[in-house]
Amino acid sequence: MSDKIRSHTPTVIGSDVAFKGELTFEGEMKFEGRLEGKITSKGAISVGTAAEINGDLSVGKATIDGTLEGNILATDRVELTATSQVKADLRAPKLIVEEGATFIGNLHVSPDALKKGEKGSKKAEFVSEESATPVPTKK
Amino acid sequence: MARAPRTRRVQCPRCETGVEVSTNARSILCSGCHQSLLTEDEKVKAYCARREFFSEGTITVTKKGTLIADVRVRSLIIQGEVKGPVRSREAIHVGKTGRLYGDFTAPSLRVEAGAKIIGKCTFGPKAELLQEKSLPIPA
Repeated sequence: MSDKIRSHTPTVIGSDVAFKGELTFEGEMKFEGRLEGKITSKGAISVGTAAEINGDLSVGKATIDGTLEGNILATDRVELTATSQVKADLRAPKLIVEEGATFIGNLHVSPDALKKGEKGSKKAEFVSEESATPVPTKK
Repeated sequence: MARAPRTRRVQCPRCETGVEVSTNARSILCSGCHQSLLTEDEKVKAYCARREFFSEGTITVTKKGTLIADVRVRSLIIQGEVKGPVRSREAIHVGKTGRLYGDFTAPSLRVEAGAKIIGKCTFGPKAELLQEKSLPIPA
């Protein structure tokens, strides 16, 4: 399989999969299983309707159709669809909510939500490239 | 041709008593708590800080408006700034220039790109169920 085809094929984790631990991927993933742990990526994840995640999500873009309990940190955007049930602390620059979505938790949505120095952003893991450059300290 | 309904049902945000009122009514006296309640739509165009802001209308906080209060309304459109606990019976719409700080509860949320939301939030039809439920740990 060529790299070009592979890059457009998302990883799929089926509904009969249940595991604990940390999951890392590149590109796109469709998650339909059950997980207790953490998902880390700079790519996009789609959490299916049957999926149940109990843990943290640190991704570029997240589309949630299923159930999630934990923290969500997205560098690009989070989409909550009508079937989603989320109990989490969410931090993202953009949020899209479909009518019918259920959410409970702390919400931090702003264009500079992930930048350092923003109120309450100490726990943010992903830092944008602009703010990642070291700032010279005054003596 | 069917006549347009002459009455509408409102709910007192203080005592949650349902009251049938005329569609033309601008304010009523709640039969449950005997307090005055605004029922007409309102615009907040400037700085407005109050202990409480209760209304059964649609409240629009314009670009230059700031609302600081314990807000309990039927529906809320935010283009300016709102601070304080917010409870809305219908959807909250945060426009691209909107800023919402504080805990809020609503059946649904609409967020435009560029909006800023910081606070604990609860929305969705299954929010009460989700509050009690916690996810089982996968085997």
